[in-house]
Amino acid sequence: MKGILTDTTLCIGCRECVIACKQINKLDDDIPHRWNLDDGLSGLNWTSIVDKPGDRHVRKQCRHCLEPACVSVCPVGALTKTDSGAVIYDGHVCMGCRYCMMACPYGIPRYDWDQQVPYVRKCILCYETRLQKNQQPACTEVCPTKATIFGDRDELIKEAHRRIKANPERYIDKVWGEHEVGGTSVLYISDIDLSFLTYGQPLGERPVPTRTSTAMHAVPFAFVGMGGLMAGLQWIIGRRNENKQPPKELTDASEETKDE
Amino acid sequence: MNRVRNFKLILWMITGFAAAAGAARYIFGLGPATNLTDATPWGLWIGFDVMSGVALAAGGFVITASVYIFKLDKFHEITRPAVLTAFLGYIAVAVGLLFDLGLPWNIWHMIIYWNPHSPLFEVGWCVMLYLAVLALEFIPVPLEEFPRLGAIRNFLVKFRLPLVIIGIALSTLHQSSLGSLFLIMPYRVHPLWYTSILPILFFISAIGLGLMMVTFESNFTAWLYKRKPETALLGQLGNAARWVFILYLVVRFGDLAARGQLGLLNGSEWQVKLFWFELLIMAIIPIIMLSIPKVRNSLGGQWTYAIMGVTGVVLNRIDVGGLTHIDRTGSGVYLPMWTEIVISAGVVSLAALVFLFMVERFKIWEKRPADPQAEPQTLPEFTPVFQTWLGDPVIAARTRYSLAFVLATAIGFALVTHDVAKSKGVDPSPVQRSRGSDTLWVDGNTDGFGVAFKHAYHMKILGETSIDTVEGVETVSVDVNTSCALCHHMNLPRDQNSGCYACHADMYSKTDAMKHEWHSSPQGANLACRDCHAKGGPKSADNAKKCDVCHSDLFPSGATIKVEQYEALSYTDAMHTLCVDCHRLKADDVSRPDLAQCAICHSEQRSFVDENTLAGRYQNLVGKSLILP
Amino acid sequence: MEAWLEFGRGPLFRISFTLMVLGSLRIIILQIIGMIEAYNRSADKIVPWGDLWKKTFSWLIPIFNIWRKRPVYSVISVLFHIGLILVPLFLAAHVLLWKNSVGFGWFHISQSLADYLTLLVIITAPLLFLMRVLNKNSRFISRTQDFVIPLLLVIPFITGYICVNSSISATGYQVMMFFHVYVGNLIMIMVPFTKIAHCVLMPFSQFVTGVGWKFPKGAGDKIIATLGYGNKPTWFDNPRIGIVTEAETSQEQEDKK
Repeated sequence: MKGILTDTTLCIGCRECVIACKQINKLDDDIPHRWNLDDGLSGLNWTSIVDKPGDRHVRKQCRHCLEPACVSVCPVGALTKTDSGAVIYDGHVCMGCRYCMMACPYGIPRYDWDQQVPYVRKCILCYETRLQKNQQPACTEVCPTKATIFGDRDELIKEAHRRIKANPERYIDKVWGEHEVGGTSVLYISDIDLSFLTYGQPLGERPVPTRTSTAMHAVPFAFVGMGGLMAGLQWIIGRRNENKQPPKELTDASEETKDE
Repeated sequence: MNRVRNFKLILWMITGFAAAAGAARYIFGLGPATNLTDATPWGLWIGFDVMSGVALAAGGFVITASVYIFKLDKFHEITRPAVLTAFLGYIAVAVGLLFDLGLPWNIWHMIIYWNPHSPLFEVGWCVMLYLAVLALEFIPVPLEEFPRLGAIRNFLVKFRLPLVIIGIALSTLHQSSLGSLFLIMPYRVHPLWYTSILPILFFISAIGLGLMMVTFESNFTAWLYKRKPETALLGQLGNAARWVFILYLVVRFGDLAARGQLGLLNGSEWQVKLFWFELLIMAIIPIIMLSIPKVRNSLGGQWTYAIMGVTGVVLNRIDVGGLTHIDRTGSGVYLPMWTEIVISAGVVSLAALVFLFMVERFKIWEKRPADPQAEPQTLPEFTPVFQTWLGDPVIAARTRYSLAFVLATAIGFALVTHDVAKSKGVDPSPVQRSRGSDTLWVDGNTDGFGVAFKHAYHMKILGETSIDTVEGVETVSVDVNTSCALCHHMNLPRDQNSGCYACHADMYSKTDAMKHEWHSSPQGANLACRDCHAKGGPKSADNAKKCDVCHSDLFPSGATIKVEQYEALSYTDAMHTLCVDCHRLKADDVSRPDLAQCAICHSEQRSFVDENTLAGRYQNLVGKSLILP
Repeated sequence: MEAWLEFGRGPLFRISFTLMVLGSLRIIILQIIGMIEAYNRSADKIVPWGDLWKKTFSWLIPIFNIWRKRPVYSVISVLFHIGLILVPLFLAAHVLLWKNSVGFGWFHISQSLADYLTLLVIITAPLLFLMRVLNKNSRFISRTQDFVIPLLLVIPFITGYICVNSSISATGYQVMMFFHVYVGNLIMIMVPFTKIAHCVLMPFSQFVTGVGWKFPKGAGDKIIATLGYGNKPTWFDNPRIGIVTEAETSQEQEDKK
């Protein structure tokens, strides 16, 4: 399971990663559209640098969650979590419902709103272009200060804790992405609070997909149960009506919904 | 029949508008034709067309359950309209979805690519299956008119009970799963609405809405066709709805208490007001009205509580589906564009038109609306003296409706293309002339963040330039042919070294460097068409003279700049290309690798520099070569 | 003036163009529905399909059908229609407008050919008008729009020709362009609602005649024989009978074809 560790204290905000991402994924020039958000991500920008006061720069990209919400909600399975850690997207399967964009706790996926044939766009960790050739993603390769590095997720977590332990006054004692929403492949260590990378509420450690799984597991039982209940009810009521001839129904209409 | 006629006329007009807006959506794409953004990817089409559409069609399974499961035969006469409404409602949902999906031609992928973890997958499958069930339930009605197909009809009628049971089970699943859709978004949905029992709440309210919708639809069509409304029967439905809504209120507040969120109701946020408003019109007021038998059994009362209940549940769906996300995503308010509203209304209108056609053509009600061809004497326009019907002939109706549709589409097209086609969602950000005379404060955004560009210094290090100080004044002698041409385009009137902003006129968008208007206008170059374009044939860019035919020294030898098209790069791109290219070259020359890095220019970019600071920093230059804004 | 021109080329053009296309489509559909209803109502369902096809195509080039009666008129009419159809659709400048606004264009004719065709329309349209006014029978069966439309149709051609082929002042050019654009839009709006609709309804006229009236072959000859006119050219002597027989004799000619 691979991952990326970004150390915001090392980032100088040069945006080489953004340019490298554009080049390797053959993304066109972006212009500010009505539908863009102010974090810099868009259908043509799969990673961006968010500038913060005090000369702080934070790279924003897909977090490649270990249990991704987008993968769990896609009705056609266009998004998949690969063994390498990357969450990848198959545009040929996608039908454009944009449920992934609604579900992502980090608000990462973006849409080709201006295209007649639009696709969902997000970082795919250079899966086809580099990861499958045993190369690291373009962004981590070009980073001049090694602020964002690629490696085994476990190794990266160890490295992150090592850096924090070595320089406790330099960092906040937290590795973002180690536990939140069940863990992410893209990790951050920082000296500023990174909660602006989400919608602002604390995410908690519960993986997001588990929130629907209870309801989804109930589906077959609900179907069989409801069908059985209805069949049984109609049989019983039919019998009762037969028994008391003449079959004039005098019950109040309110009874019909009592079972729900 | 004027009432029906005018109503249909309005429906046709809305459909016509929607046809134009729908064409715009497919021609220009979702971005220009809607107000959806990356933060609100689901808008009115999901909130109203899909979420509310499915809920509004709940009447079908509620009524079939009452009649075929609970054997309440008195409701039999409203079964057919209820099933028809449900059937058309689900078709409308599917049609609305075709507009909302980015790749609607892939909608069938749900059949072959499975992801059973997804609530949307389940909703999709249930809707597909239930649509099939509804079709099978409804088909026997039109088949009555075709006695030759009686065998098929009898076959279908035989399977009615299993169909009804499957339909109820499927409805249970997808009505509740519409709530499950939002379980994955605890960070978007406001805690007053977000709860893990959303599916149950959705299912209960769907039953209530189904009853309200049947009441509304029955009374509305009764008004439309001047039928006798089934007031007593609908009153009994209302009584049932009362208990459903009471159950809903209990569950909803019980859930709030169980989650310990009752304290939220003390807040003064707008969401709290929305919460109370929603509950008031959806449940509380209808419950009060329904508890009074006199109100429940009166036409006016039924109208009021039905409309309130329907609006309330629809509002609830819209709240959960997007309205309460607004503050949480911090992305600004989403208001549907008029095309979205018109398309939603158009889909509903089309469904209503099919409904009216069905009730006029087939036996949906016990008593069909009068047909002028079959029984003219029942109609008000029938004249006993001449023994003829003097109302509108069919051909007049046909002519009128189609004309309304065509006119509405034409006007819609004019509106659509004017609003939508022109703006691709891009705000132009014009570039102004850089400030200063020698040390340029290149500040394209005009927001105070800029890059200091020392012109004299660049002249010195580029090419054969010498800067001498003669009598205290810097004088510059330059070999124009090589050095200025490196950066500037030449041969612009009265501004030999052209400013960047003249052609790269927009910060982010490509612009037309040729400026056709200027070349052809009397105030500009005052050229006739034939001065540039070949005689005859279309006058396009292809057969026009190239720039360098007239501007012979536009591309000087040895220039870094190359003009190959009439399109000028955006200002940022042009500056970055020009500066960064040169810096990269120089970085090798002078072996200073940092020269090509961003910070060499953008060191002050993120700190706002006001005039005083600027004057202080370039103190020695102020008044001589730096002119402050 | 510039703003007015922009409006005429922009939103107004979209309205009138949509009205023309959808409106024509609408009358075609209404016509087809009407035909089906007429067919269902008619007592015998025998339709001479082969004959109808033949007649429809032969009337697309009406010169052979009316050649004998009014040769000059028929030639002028055909010339007029050639210019009228070719120039607006295939003029290079119009194709370019399309390319610029919707992104696709099509084949275009050369400017000199377009100029000649425009001149042809400008000359033939007043001639058609005059011949309609001067011929007693024609005048009698004409409605107001029959007189007005040829003159209205020629305005965009005249103004367009002036704009392209003469050096006039900028103001004059804009005035000419204004009339060109606005009358053009007016004509497009009029297409489905006036007799110009025959450009799409033409193919249906034979069918309607064939199904609705059921004239057997040679009916016209028989009528003439019955009325006792023999081989006399009947369509312009007696005004009353002339009017009656004009319709029939053209029918007879079709039948002969």
